[in-house]
Amino acid sequence: MLENSIFLILAIFLIGGGLTMVWSRETIISAFGFFVAMLAMAGVFALLGNSFLFLAQIMVSVGAVVVLSMMVITAINLKEENLPDEPNKLRWIFFTALIVTPFSLLMYRTLVSVHQNFAHTSEGYGSLKVLGEALFKDWVLSFEVISVLLLAAMVGAVVIARKELSDGA
Amino acid sequence: MVPEPFFALATLLFSLGIIGIVSRRNLFVVYMSIELMLSSVNLVLVIFSRLRGDMDGSVIALLLIGVIAAEAALFLAIIIHLVRISRSVDSDAFDELKQAKESR
Repeated sequence: MLENSIFLILAIFLIGGGLTMVWSRETIISAFGFFVAMLAMAGVFALLGNSFLFLAQIMVSVGAVVVLSMMVITAINLKEENLPDEPNKLRWIFFTALIVTPFSLLMYRTLVSVHQNFAHTSEGYGSLKVLGEALFKDWVLSFEVISVLLLAAMVGAVVIARKELSDGA
Repeated sequence: MVPEPFFALATLLFSLGIIGIVSRRNLFVVYMSIELMLSSVNLVLVIFSRLRGDMDGSVIALLLIGVIAAEAALFLAIIIHLVRISRSVDSDAFDELKQAKESR
């Protein structure tokens, strides 16, 4: 019962944050909706009993990604006239939603039918120890590859975003 | 635990992401919609990991959070670059790769 109500509150925050993000004209309000959605997503992870992902979501997605987005938005400091004018925004959103609806129904049915087709067990789930063992035994190659990917992304971001020096100097 | 509401939530978030990508022209909204879609996929991974009771799905979700961080850094760098060259976040302003109908 308590679980249901918590899920309902988190779902309202997630959907509301997502809608604000898609709907709002002001970029910083979109970013705030994104922030709320990511935070509620961390709550859903906690509700699923996965404490470490809850922490990782808050630290990485909320603490790094969303804050970085907000910092970039405020640093760019777009004026009202630099925002794209979207006169038919509501119409676009409405018709896109109309087109996407059957696809999302298909996706929902696929997910439900997939989960009905394998054995369910739930023992020893969610403890940090089990996750650490899985991460550093079976998935250690992926873990190292992710670290290389992060390094490459960092170098790439610096190269892309730096100011162009005059004439290749 | 009943997984159907969680699946419905993940599906809704993914659809919201698609709607944001297709219907908005603000680059930041496009970027955040992509992030939302990635996070909903993450949610599906965690749900399946919970249902199966093994941690492999959670480990993939954890690695995916790292990928999301890398993607965010690159995307924001690209947005900064684009804003610097044309002072706009309109995705219609960046059509240089479009098929050259009227050449300049």
